Amino acid sequence: MNEKMRTALAATRRHFLSGCGVGLANMFLAEAQEARLPVAKAKSVIFLHMAGSPSQLELFDYKPELVKYNGKPCPDELLKGKRFAFIKGVPKMLGTPYKFKQHGQSGAWVSELMPEFSKIVDDVTIVRSMSTDQFNHAPAQLFLHTGNPRFGFASMGAWATYGLGSENKDLPGFVVLTSGGNNPDGGKSLWGSAFLPSIHQGVHCRSHGDPVLFLSDPEGMTRNVRRKTLDALKDLNAMQAKQAGDPEIDARMGQYELAYRMQISVPNVMDISKEPEAVHKLYGTEPGKTSLANNCLLARRLVENGVRFVQIYDWGWDHHGTSKRDDIQYALQPHIKTADQAVTALIRDLKQRGLLDQTLVVWGGEFGRTPMRENRGGTEGAFIGRDHHPYAYTMWMAGGGMKKGLNYGETDEIGYYVTKDKMTPKDLQATILHQLGLDPYKLHYPYLGLNQRLIGPTDEGRVMKDLLV
Amino acid sequence: MFRIVFALVAVCAYGQAPEFQRDIRPLLGKKCVACHGPDEHGRQAGLRLDTFEGATKTGAIVPGNAAKSRVLARVTHASRPMPPTGPRLTETEVALLRQWIDAGAKYTNHWAYEKPKRAAFPPTANAIDFFVQAKLASLGLTGAKEADRATLARRLALDLTGVPPEPAVLAEYLKTGAYEKYVDALLASPQYGERWAKVWLDLARYADTQGYEKDSKRSIWPYRDWVIRAFNENLPFDKFTTLQLAADLMPDPSIDDLIATGFHRNTMTNTEGGTDDEEFRDLAIRDRVATTGQVWMGQTWGCAQCHTHKYDPLTHKEFYQLYAFFNQTADDDHPSDRPVLKLTSTASTLVLKELEEAKRRKTRIYDRGNFLTPGEEVKAAVPVAFHQLPAKAPVNRLGFAQWLVSPENPLTARVTVNRFWARVFGRGLVESEEDFGTQGIGPTHPELLDILALDFQKDWDVKKLLKRIVTSATYKQVSDVTPELLKVDPANRYYARGARFRLDAEVVRDQALATAGLLSKKQFGPPVMPWQPDGVWLVVYNGDNWMTSKGEDRYRRALYTFMRRTSAYPSMMNFDAPNGETCTIRRIRTNTPLQALTSMNDPAFMEAAQRLAEKAVKESPLNPAKRLFELVLLRPPTAAEAARIGQLQRQAETELRTQPENVSKLLRYSEVLYTEDREATLIPDGRTSPREWRYATTAQVDGWMNAGFDDSKWSVGPGFFGKLAKPSETTPIRTAWDTESLYLRYTLDLPAKLPTKFKLPARTNAQFDVWVNGVAAVNNIFERSGHYEYTINDDGQRAFKAGKNVIAIRVSRHGAQGGDQIFDPGLVASLPWAPVAPKAGDAGKAAWVVVANTVLNLDETVTRR
Repeated sequence: MNEKMRTALAATRRHFLSGCGVGLANMFLAEAQEARLPVAKAKSVIFLHMAGSPSQLELFDYKPELVKYNGKPCPDELLKGKRFAFIKGVPKMLGTPYKFKQHGQSGAWVSELMPEFSKIVDDVTIVRSMSTDQFNHAPAQLFLHTGNPRFGFASMGAWATYGLGSENKDLPGFVVLTSGGNNPDGGKSLWGSAFLPSIHQGVHCRSHGDPVLFLSDPEGMTRNVRRKTLDALKDLNAMQAKQAGDPEIDARMGQYELAYRMQISVPNVMDISKEPEAVHKLYGTEPGKTSLANNCLLARRLVENGVRFVQIYDWGWDHHGTSKRDDIQYALQPHIKTADQAVTALIRDLKQRGLLDQTLVVWGGEFGRTPMRENRGGTEGAFIGRDHHPYAYTMWMAGGGMKKGLNYGETDEIGYYVTKDKMTPKDLQATILHQLGLDPYKLHYPYLGLNQRLIGPTDEGRVMKDLLV
Repeated sequence: MFRIVFALVAVCAYGQAPEFQRDIRPLLGKKCVACHGPDEHGRQAGLRLDTFEGATKTGAIVPGNAAKSRVLARVTHASRPMPPTGPRLTETEVALLRQWIDAGAKYTNHWAYEKPKRAAFPPTANAIDFFVQAKLASLGLTGAKEADRATLARRLALDLTGVPPEPAVLAEYLKTGAYEKYVDALLASPQYGERWAKVWLDLARYADTQGYEKDSKRSIWPYRDWVIRAFNENLPFDKFTTLQLAADLMPDPSIDDLIATGFHRNTMTNTEGGTDDEEFRDLAIRDRVATTGQVWMGQTWGCAQCHTHKYDPLTHKEFYQLYAFFNQTADDDHPSDRPVLKLTSTASTLVLKELEEAKRRKTRIYDRGNFLTPGEEVKAAVPVAFHQLPAKAPVNRLGFAQWLVSPENPLTARVTVNRFWARVFGRGLVESEEDFGTQGIGPTHPELLDILALDFQKDWDVKKLLKRIVTSATYKQVSDVTPELLKVDPANRYYARGARFRLDAEVVRDQALATAGLLSKKQFGPPVMPWQPDGVWLVVYNGDNWMTSKGEDRYRRALYTFMRRTSAYPSMMNFDAPNGETCTIRRIRTNTPLQALTSMNDPAFMEAAQRLAEKAVKESPLNPAKRLFELVLLRPPTAAEAARIGQLQRQAETELRTQPENVSKLLRYSEVLYTEDREATLIPDGRTSPREWRYATTAQVDGWMNAGFDDSKWSVGPGFFGKLAKPSETTPIRTAWDTESLYLRYTLDLPAKLPTKFKLPARTNAQFDVWVNGVAAVNNIFERSGHYEYTINDDGQRAFKAGKNVIAIRVSRHGAQGGDQIFDPGLVASLPWAPVAPKAGDAGKAAWVVVANTVLNLDETVTRR
């Protein structure tokens, strides 16, 4: 870390906190500004992470050959030297029980489980050649969102607000929404700021209780009384500032006023009850519930209000087939049904409001699922499911300068390996930053003797020009 | 930027020769050394510019002749300039380089790798003040006057103990002004150890869980207690070091000594399916090497795990030679191999244990840091850029620890004194506490740093060092600043005034509790769970619940709060506390609205406000404002402040007169807050007086869980349900169940004023689902035996209504037929809180709670000044 940066940090900080309007996350450094590109295709990102990892073979990656091999033992060469989370011994191949059809002008193969998504394939770039190098949930999620499978690195949303700041001075720049009953496996580090200043960490907005922790006034204190306390605080702090002369005092008071505005602006933006009935029908939302549908609608409201990065985690896509509740026939169906409706509604809604062009939507899990049937414990159970599979899986993107109706990448005849146009989480990270108008190679923060970057120390992450308009 | 350029121009203008360390090394480091440095794999064109030999071998630099030096041609090349990417050298930089080469291109060693030198200063002078004053004089500045007693009293107490002073100790100091005696009292107080332990635990990446997906609990708190005791007993820092790194290798270590080795057992482990134990063991060892380098020597050794360090003298091979020191411990990621030290029947802790001779591991260089591609075998050795292992030191962890604290080590003492200085002054003499390497920031007062380090090395006495710092005139200065001074030295790097900065997360909270008389003095023991909002812990595949502690454990110091790595305690996180994932050398202080929300609205702070107001009104009924200020800021309010406080109190009182329920809430805040204190059993379970449930053991039609379903044909029976091979007294089977599934229904009447926070205690070894009036409310996928309280989800909570409610449960047997199966449910909830009609004067008292909340949010309150 050099002296120049320190000085710049101090100066920028003061400038933003005392002089200009106090934004939540616009305390960026001179260093971050150097990474700005002349053009930004996307203003905001909505990252829909299906935590647990949905099966690409049931949804996007059509493998008629695999259906033919259904029930046959897995060939040795696919098992040799491989590590699996749960598969032991020789598993059997598993063809999908679902039908696939081609849709739209792009001719995208999509399974019957996603009738809604099938209708918007011409707005979407589908990448069937994703490949990661992590096969456990927490490390794979960390790798996807922080660029490193271990703890201790800053998340994509934190990098985005560090590089760009927030557009709305009454809302956080990086908001996280969760559904499915659990936080994602990687925990809160998935939206952490690590070595970046903690102002850049994602703010977890919840559907129950305070949308942001400690947002409501305490029991017994009315809004009116809270205002009076802030007025008094301002006067008392001003007396202190006069004596102490420290500009941090004004900065702190600025944060109190912002907090007071957030107490109104956050519940307002989080309250979906006033949305028209047609919107609820479109998304499948029910006000007051914790659901992916509600979070999709919230995501639209948040980007509409200038939030830079919305990270959605929907937990419960880990379909191993150990029981009815994680079986790809019984458990996947209802899950994908609601997700199909909500996620497609989000794309349609953004498009209809003219927001899709400036909003990059990304959908996917942390890895894929095996073409083999999981055989937990070595004996075959009554239920069917698939183990974690890092070598090939599907993600899709829409808006924010991505090509429309693109089918990108291919896998082999059973969907085991990528055979064409491999894309990695690092490529995805580089591409997302690039679309936001940040140079992924230049966006860095000096820490521990290294220029830390989202894409890591090597330059292997690529901006995927093939996917871009 | 402007200032730096200005400084460089000034250097040239005065005709002063550029110095390698000051002017040239940063320039080369920034623009050249990444490709032309120590890393032979990344090195371009075989050229290295960081050493004299490398730079002059092929004429890139010709000493004394800039015109002939190719480097200069390349950096000024019109079409193909160096560096090929990124900003070019500025004209000033080129001029500096030219001057330096013409003057002979003298390379000198990085300051931090040379042993500290004792600079001369007058024997009667205080070294700190002498060197600070000298620097100020050179900048045309003067120091500030001494702060008043009250300010110093608060400053010292918060710096040294992290909590406000004991009333008696404070009163004595305010009366006598016996500064040293006051300092000694604080250093001797039990709270001193707690404050500095927390500083150390940041470095130790201490937490109460093991990290990654399940992030399960683990017991290592005895290590935390050891650190507290070590600071309180003023264990010399060299011994503190060797015990933590290698007590197990010392002759006859005591149990306490072994506990100390928990330092390096704070690394994370992963128990996800298919996880390679070796992979996570490898990660833990690397973490130990990197953390040791950072904590003791301010070195970023972690950089060299994949390739030779780009800037500092540590090769890829040397990283693995260091790794070899740490590679002989028996701590496979596998739980059965983990050395656990049993302390009592209920307490244990993790420790280091060297492998037996026969099981010793070989260490190999991992190509690009990948443990699956091992290369050349290496033996434990220290990096060649540093001194050798002490003469009689064994070549193992113990020898390595002795090497760290050897008088030959140029860094350990410097890094350590710098850390204590930084915690007290808000920034180190070396600001980049975590990096004393060539990419770090050089010391503002190098002579002072060296003298402090050399003196510290004599006896490694931490209390003496702290006392030396806080008894200096530099420390005692007022922190007020003028606009002029702010312009010259905005960050207070030269100490023309006292330090002023936001308190640490733990201190903000502990101070609030302490001023309210709530803070418990209880020390040590397992972590506690003070109040936390519902729903913060939602960890996958892990049924742990946050169970709010009882009694004084609700009000322990923050360092005793349970630390879950994947879900840190929210108010701590908001105030920049780390979560124990990695070693945190220094916290970056931020100023955010989430902090404002926390100290305004977090019920824990509000509870403190209520007690604080109560205390102030009781102790000073005629002038509570004065008492409030004294309790929090240790000073009376000014007339203007008192007037403004009075105005706020009257405004609040006027409002509250018409809000009896709010008055009651404000005055009985703890009652409102701790819903668990109002918990009642709605359906007793098999342990007490089990109720009869409707049940069926055969498959049911759709909709059996709905309220309207007719269950009149079902059987009736009490818990425990199931079948046990061996009858048990504690879990007597009252209703037989030996089929695959068990279906249960219970109809419950609830009053109009509904209870809240329903929970389902159950004893089972099976997976089960619960519906409340047909709404899915619990989905338990854990198969664990024992009694647990299962959380009813938000949808389930809201499904309860006044009148009749139906609880429906489906249990799926664990494992094959023939084994034990058991199920026994109950239901508990918190009864609604009932306000008490206010008495005369209560509105006024409640208004003081509002005022106390405001005082706890004053900038001065959350600031150390």
